[in-house]
Amino acid sequence: MIRKTIVIENKLGMHARPATMIVKIASKFRSEFRIIKGDMEINGKSIMGVMTLAAEYGSELELIADGVDEEYLIREITELFASKFGEE
Amino acid sequence: MKKISVKDFFNTKKKEFSLSLITHPQTMEKDITNEFLHRPGLAFSGYFERFAYKRIQILGETEISFLQSLKDEDLYNSIKEVFVYDIPCMIITKGLSIPSQVEYLANEMNIPILSSRLTTDKLYHALRRYLGDVFAPSKTIHGTFVDVYGVGIILTGKSGIGKSECALDLVERGRRLITDDVVKIIAKDDYLIGTSTNNYGHFMEVRGVGLIDVQRMYGIQAVRKQKRIDVQIELMPWKDNMDYERIGLTDNFVDILGVKIPIIYLPVTPGKNVAVVIEVVARNHILKIYGYDAAKEYTNKLQKDLQDKAKLRKTVIEDNE
Repeated sequence: MIRKTIVIENKLGMHARPATMIVKIASKFRSEFRIIKGDMEINGKSIMGVMTLAAEYGSELELIADGVDEEYLIREITELFASKFGEE
Repeated sequence: MKKISVKDFFNTKKKEFSLSLITHPQTMEKDITNEFLHRPGLAFSGYFERFAYKRIQILGETEISFLQSLKDEDLYNSIKEVFVYDIPCMIITKGLSIPSQVEYLANEMNIPILSSRLTTDKLYHALRRYLGDVFAPSKTIHGTFVDVYGVGIILTGKSGIGKSECALDLVERGRRLITDDVVKIIAKDDYLIGTSTNNYGHFMEVRGVGLIDVQRMYGIQAVRKQKRIDVQIELMPWKDNMDYERIGLTDNFVDILGVKIPIIYLPVTPGKNVAVVIEVVARNHILKIYGYDAAKEYTNKLQKDLQDKAKLRKTVIEDNE
């Protein structure tokens, strides 16, 4: 199991488009993927779950991947966050 | 190119357009190849620029009274000049009588002349509507066509994916079948009409059972003859790496005969109730038409929430809270 903390760096926060991108990438992997924000924990492969987090600019998320390809999953998701989803 | 012979046209539409034949029956061997109509008044007066001779020529009171006003010799020359063109058919309106020379020359030069008892205006519009249908672009596609809450949904996908069973499920739930397996699609101005290719009724093949008669089995309310096509749903086997629509913010469209309709790619897995999902598609389509888009509604709320929270965070940080 891998845990990693990241911060939302794009100004618009995790709205529909970034949420879709996260779910699409996470769904490629076999590992379980959860995201925690405050007292909320959701399945990172569920679009409604990811959007329910309503993670705004500057907020902190904990990513948890668990499974055979957990490293790759975390790496790709981290890259996605770092790219600010192609936004500002 | 589509065409209809004058003979077929006359025989099928005799009653509707109150038609009678003035020239010899042999003249009716010609084909109508154009859906538009023309009034040949200017051609009779000697002006042949842009003379649309390939269209059905409509002669109303104006043309007839002009012809009657001509001296015999002028009339003869004028008509002959017009009849040199390969005109498919002429129709005299209001049952007006024509100068005998016109009939004589038409027989000589093999131009069919029909007479209609309708007024020019009535015939013109009825004929345009009829020819519009005859010449409308059409094609057939492999699919099943159902009416769900008034939304015409065409189900497509590979053989054996379960289109017919899905339609049966929908019929069971009170929806209506238009046609199974082969759908004839006709393009009207900016919409599509789907119907059956034959008049046999509403038969359907159910794998393992054979042919069934849906109308006999479920009653007249379970079927309909034709319907506007509103949405296409492509049923496909579930694939792990396929990009299925998750939120519904982007609409996909498909072009059929130059008309764009929304298409939904629906993954099918064993045990999934596809009929229910199709009803949901229909309901959502109606909601969108009435101006309510659930995907937009939800994402707008999320976006506002994110902005509000970001603003609050900024204020708190700036103030060293």
